[in-house]
Amino acid sequence: MRRGGVVGGLVLVVVALLAVVAPWVTDPAGLDVTRVDGPRLGAPSGEYWLGTDENGRSVLLLTWWGARVSLLVGVAAAVLSVGIGTLVGLVAAMAGGWVSAVLMRLTDFFLVLPSLVLAIALSTVLERGVGTIVLAIGLTSWPGAARLVRAQTLAVAARPYVERAHALGGGTVHVVVRHVLPGVVPLVVVNTTLAVGTAIVAESTLAFLGLGDPTAVSWGAMLRTASSTGAVTAGAWWYLVPPGLAIAGVVLAVTVCGRALETVLDPRLREPR
Amino acid sequence: MAAAVAVAGFAPVAQAQEEAPRGDVTLRVAVTQEIDSLNPFLSITRTGTDVLRTAFEQLTTYDAATLAPVPALAERWEPSADKLTWRFTLRDGAVWSDGRPITARDAAFTFDLMMRDETARTANGNFVALFESVTAEDERTLVVRTRSPQATMTALDVPIVPEHVWADLDPGAPPTFPMVGSGPFVITEFKEGQYTRLVANDRYWRGRPRIDRLDFVYYRNSDAAVAALRNGEVDLVNRLTPAQFDELADEPGVSRNKAKGKRFNEILMNPGAADSAGNPIGDGHPALRDPVLRRAIAQSIDTRTLVEKVWGGYGEPGSGYIPPVFADFHWSTSRPFDIAGANADLDAAGYARGPDGVRVDPRSGRPLALRLLAHAGTNFDEQSAPYIKGWLGELGIAVQVQAVSDTKVNEATTRGTFDLAYSGWSANPDPDYVLSLQTCAARPGADGKGATPDSFLCDETYDALYAQQVAEFDRGRRAELVKRMQQRLHELAPMVILGYDDMLEAWRSDRFAAFQVSPDPGGPIMNQQSYWGYYSATPIARAEEGGNTGLVLGAVGGGVVLLAGVGWWLARRRAASADERE
Repeated sequence: MRRGGVVGGLVLVVVALLAVVAPWVTDPAGLDVTRVDGPRLGAPSGEYWLGTDENGRSVLLLTWWGARVSLLVGVAAAVLSVGIGTLVGLVAAMAGGWVSAVLMRLTDFFLVLPSLVLAIALSTVLERGVGTIVLAIGLTSWPGAARLVRAQTLAVAARPYVERAHALGGGTVHVVVRHVLPGVVPLVVVNTTLAVGTAIVAESTLAFLGLGDPTAVSWGAMLRTASSTGAVTAGAWWYLVPPGLAIAGVVLAVTVCGRALETVLDPRLREPR
Repeated sequence: MAAAVAVAGFAPVAQAQEEAPRGDVTLRVAVTQEIDSLNPFLSITRTGTDVLRTAFEQLTTYDAATLAPVPALAERWEPSADKLTWRFTLRDGAVWSDGRPITARDAAFTFDLMMRDETARTANGNFVALFESVTAEDERTLVVRTRSPQATMTALDVPIVPEHVWADLDPGAPPTFPMVGSGPFVITEFKEGQYTRLVANDRYWRGRPRIDRLDFVYYRNSDAAVAALRNGEVDLVNRLTPAQFDELADEPGVSRNKAKGKRFNEILMNPGAADSAGNPIGDGHPALRDPVLRRAIAQSIDTRTLVEKVWGGYGEPGSGYIPPVFADFHWSTSRPFDIAGANADLDAAGYARGPDGVRVDPRSGRPLALRLLAHAGTNFDEQSAPYIKGWLGELGIAVQVQAVSDTKVNEATTRGTFDLAYSGWSANPDPDYVLSLQTCAARPGADGKGATPDSFLCDETYDALYAQQVAEFDRGRRAELVKRMQQRLHELAPMVILGYDDMLEAWRSDRFAAFQVSPDPGGPIMNQQSYWGYYSATPIARAEEGGNTGLVLGAVGGGVVLLAGVGWWLARRRAASADERE
């Protein structure tokens, strides 16, 4: 488990680094369709290691730059979703009473809504763009986190030391920040990590369905143009496989990494030695 | 006999006939667009009208080679001296697919219904807009009076329906099958989102088709349709992408047809949208009211490169408003691609560049940041938008591409809530309809309804020429007027004509002989102005199945997905086992 987590973490670090340095080590002009002159759907060659797309752009370059959008959206949406979930869960658990009842019914409502359908609806109504995708994923995937955080908060808040803190005159804010939150944070961290994987898949799905920013390069968008321009019929596997493997690889790395973190932060999950 | 025609669609009923025994030769056509309706008064989609054209004759149809109007149900016609009264003489001996004779009363009933009933005008209302009265003087004579001369009288694209069937029906009702028709085929079955089935009309006046059945099978995407063609599951496919068309070049048993398109693709530039009363509507960028800016934009779009890159060379770069396939009316021109020149023009006109390189409109003080509305899911829009954005960026115009649903684009272009927008129309052999889109009369009411505008242009000179051409019956003189109109559009530049895409088709040449294309040469097999393509289908000795590369590729794609799934599942399982081992 641990070793897998380390490998996953390394993969993520490498991918993230590549994504960050892309503007400096590659020439963004290679993404501008008006300035490239590669062959249309050209097979992999010495010049284009992973072949070219229908506009003559390098698939390698597209996959590289696609990581930027996919990772950005993945992380931002996961943070947004877990952030909302944590806030709702914490407030529901600490406030109790009707506030809790209202918040949890709201959570239940979002929990039963099919999130992909809701995300599609949202990104159709709002303007196209990366921000919209983040919002659509974030707003539809928080209920799980809210339920988890509420349960954990209730468990932590019932511990004697929290009661002691109250008895010693600690205000609600003090108790939450100093005593409850530290007990909840590990769970939130793990949850965020796992949510990144889901968010990356959701982003690719939405982009594949054509709901993303049409001018942004992302893995889902690459798969979409590949299938809409007949790359399958043309046998241009080099246009389909790299973004597909990239999505699968990154999501796998994130998941493995999240599971490892879980065992690190929660001693009960550690493998016996 | 009528029952036999109907039954034949469902079961292989052996039936003795004089010369053409009913076999089971079926032409299977793959379509990637769903049919909106098979009601001839309602259908406006490409596929729906294509199916209906094979089942319902019109008064006139179009010559297969030249697209000039030729007799169909009407065997001859004659306008009065003032061009206001038209006398059509219907063919003797033509019968409906149920055996009843086709008379002038059926035609009068059809037009009269369209004049009376708004629903019946849904699809083809523009043809009867100028009609004053329609009467059947006798069984064979139809008299149409119009309020003003109408040059489209010999090109009325209106399916004539049988009065004895439709008299008691609501014109908006879904049809019942088999549909009583007059064309070479009879529609017998329709499953929404799946297929439409037609059988040969034994009573067709030109003679029974050489095939027995015609199936239109719906495929959700064109790769699936191409795979079906390769496997021999369908016989005819159209609207191929350039990559697919190239790939089919060496496919055994498959022949290809590259046809000139009748559609022009354009980008509209909101020249200051206004309603029919002239009051401004919408929220277009005010700078676009300046023709200098619009011409500079048009000059900065390299239509030649778009054709090469986006259409893979299968198309023609933008020229006049009427597509070159209609050679008589096409006005040939070409705007030089010259961003440097356009930049100089804008500098001279006072559009100074701001600190971020984006020009500023000297009149409104607003930066030239323009929205470009694209149809989400349309290949051409999605692929060409990055080019447009790149070129206009060099011109100092910041373009924000918004890919939205077709409905949203239509709404925005009807209400004037756009700066730049993709659009395009399929022109007819008679150019009247697409020309009318640019007149003042095409502007909608204040609520955005009542008319279909294209660019919101309202120009006196253009409108005067439009009125002249609609009343001009000499083809040569009319073509001259139509060309002057296109020149005027070119100068005012309310749109950039991007190009005319070829229609790429392929068919199983091991099962069917070459089809009649229309226009001939250079025309398509499917989506013609008439039914010649399907009617000409001639089966040849059947050969066996082709390759299965599509299947292999599909399996590879599926394998990648499966691999990802397995990896994820393994990760979960390992985590789960760790959980359980506590």
